[in-house]
Amino acid sequence: MEKRTEILVSGFGGQGVVRVGQILSTAAVSSGLHTTMLVSHGTETRGGYVRSQVVISDEEIDSPVVENPDFLCALSKAAYNRFKHLVSKGTIIYDPAFIEPDETLDVRQVPFPARDIAVEKLGREIFANVIVVGYLAGLLSGTLTKEAVAAAVRERIPKFQSENAAAFAVGYSLAETLGGAPTVATR
Amino acid sequence: MKRVLETGNAAITEGAIAAGCRVFAGYPITPATEIAENMSRRLPQVGGYYLQAEDELAAMHIAVGSSLGGLKAMTATSGPGFILYADPYGWALGSEIPVVVVNAQRVGPVSGITGAPGQGEFYFSRYPTQGGNFETIVLAPASVQEALNLTVEAFYLAERFRMPVTLLADQLVTDGWESLSVPETPDDVAAMGLRVLPRRIHSGPEFYPASDEIDVPPVVLGHNTGAACSDWTPTEQGYDTEEVEAQHKHAYRLIYKVRNHRDLLRRYEAYYLDDNPEVVLVSYGSPARVAKSAVKRARERGLKVGGIRLIGLWPFPEELFTLPAKYLSVELNNDGQLVREVQRAVPKGSAVHFFGKCGELPTVAELQRMIDALLSGEPLPANRWEWEAW
Repeated sequence: MEKRTEILVSGFGGQGVVRVGQILSTAAVSSGLHTTMLVSHGTETRGGYVRSQVVISDEEIDSPVVENPDFLCALSKAAYNRFKHLVSKGTIIYDPAFIEPDETLDVRQVPFPARDIAVEKLGREIFANVIVVGYLAGLLSGTLTKEAVAAAVRERIPKFQSENAAAFAVGYSLAETLGGAPTVATR
Repeated sequence: MKRVLETGNAAITEGAIAAGCRVFAGYPITPATEIAENMSRRLPQVGGYYLQAEDELAAMHIAVGSSLGGLKAMTATSGPGFILYADPYGWALGSEIPVVVVNAQRVGPVSGITGAPGQGEFYFSRYPTQGGNFETIVLAPASVQEALNLTVEAFYLAERFRMPVTLLADQLVTDGWESLSVPETPDDVAAMGLRVLPRRIHSGPEFYPASDEIDVPPVVLGHNTGAACSDWTPTEQGYDTEEVEAQHKHAYRLIYKVRNHRDLLRRYEAYYLDDNPEVVLVSYGSPARVAKSAVKRARERGLKVGGIRLIGLWPFPEELFTLPAKYLSVELNNDGQLVREVQRAVPKGSAVHFFGKCGELPTVAELQRMIDALLSGEPLPANRWEWEAW
């Protein structure tokens, strides 16, 4: 039976949403898995809305559409509102810096303050996306190894390697503490 | 051979390089810009030439002219540029000049939406220029790997048939990222089952044989023939003429070198057709992948549903449609294009329906609802406006 994992990452242009998807898909390729990643974007690179839909599977992937994400990672209010209804069995991960969660949803929602952590621990907001990658790597540990994702970060972001390694480690450690809990109440 | 995560645009670039393309002329346009970018980096590495033209009209003229000069050439664009190719496309058809043309379809008409997929040039790719008296060859990839493989195949067919071949992709194939095996040596190319035909030069002295013959080497200007290769109707010797008899011979050749070799151009993927399914989904390009998922899902529920994914679009493989069934054409446009050709091809006792979306893929859930409605005979679910039953 196919083991298919769907991840939807969405936010503003410039937050590194596409890079998050690329890193996860790169790790999937190096792990010998099949993967697709669709990118939707407008004409503006920054400030617009961006979505990457990642599918990882041990079999050849037919539909590349993320219809029922295992993980929706929402990094802007618009992204959250647009895609929250897709989630039925999966988990919504949202950055509370931008998003007020919809408490009427009957799904697991995890606040993950990637932006604030980036500023606090690494001094710059720009590292938030790799913190998200680390966190997702922790949640996806049944599919991708920590090492494969960490290597993919280095491959896809050749600059700031030590900072990004630190950002990855921070995100990953938070998945170990937060991600394993069966439910995390919305706030 | 290396295995990487890449876009369809990168795949098309590597396919072209592997096929021996040594000239690229283009004008940037989303979602095909990265082909030009990648070609500008890759071609100098293999002794080739990259030119950015002032517009698409010039771009394709340069590509066609380069081929006439003896090098394999390609150009790439999206719908708004593809329409500007009309003039040089006709020149390449009429003068039998091999060239590969990539169209990464986006939402139209005109500039439409840049970063969203469409399939509005199904018929336009059949008639990419005016005047009639020709057939075209069009291939449609549905994945990043297939974008590479079909680019190589497009060059192969262009050389064998002495004509332009269009690779009709869509934004999700060209901009989408996927695992990709890239050949790095001629042995890799062969191991992947890809066919490469080196450029040969026509021995002349005539321009073309007045027959449906293929595998006639292309004319390279200044070699063995005095063919003008202008955009006027040529005589067999390659001189401009206004004689209707000459035109008949020329038209016969352009039409029947393709029609009489349809068996070499038939490419498709058919699945779950062996038990005479009641419903058959027909599609090409990226929506065909969602259609396949929907068919598999239906089979898991025990429903008799099958599918056809067209890879070669033109000449249209009407001979595939032998089974009387309820056909559903799944396309990335709202007007219905492929559906018309399916309607023309299906046998008596069939019904043909249409599901269109533009700017984004349909979902498996949406197609499941269509399949259920077709099987139960209920009216098809309306979607934004009253869908016509074709």
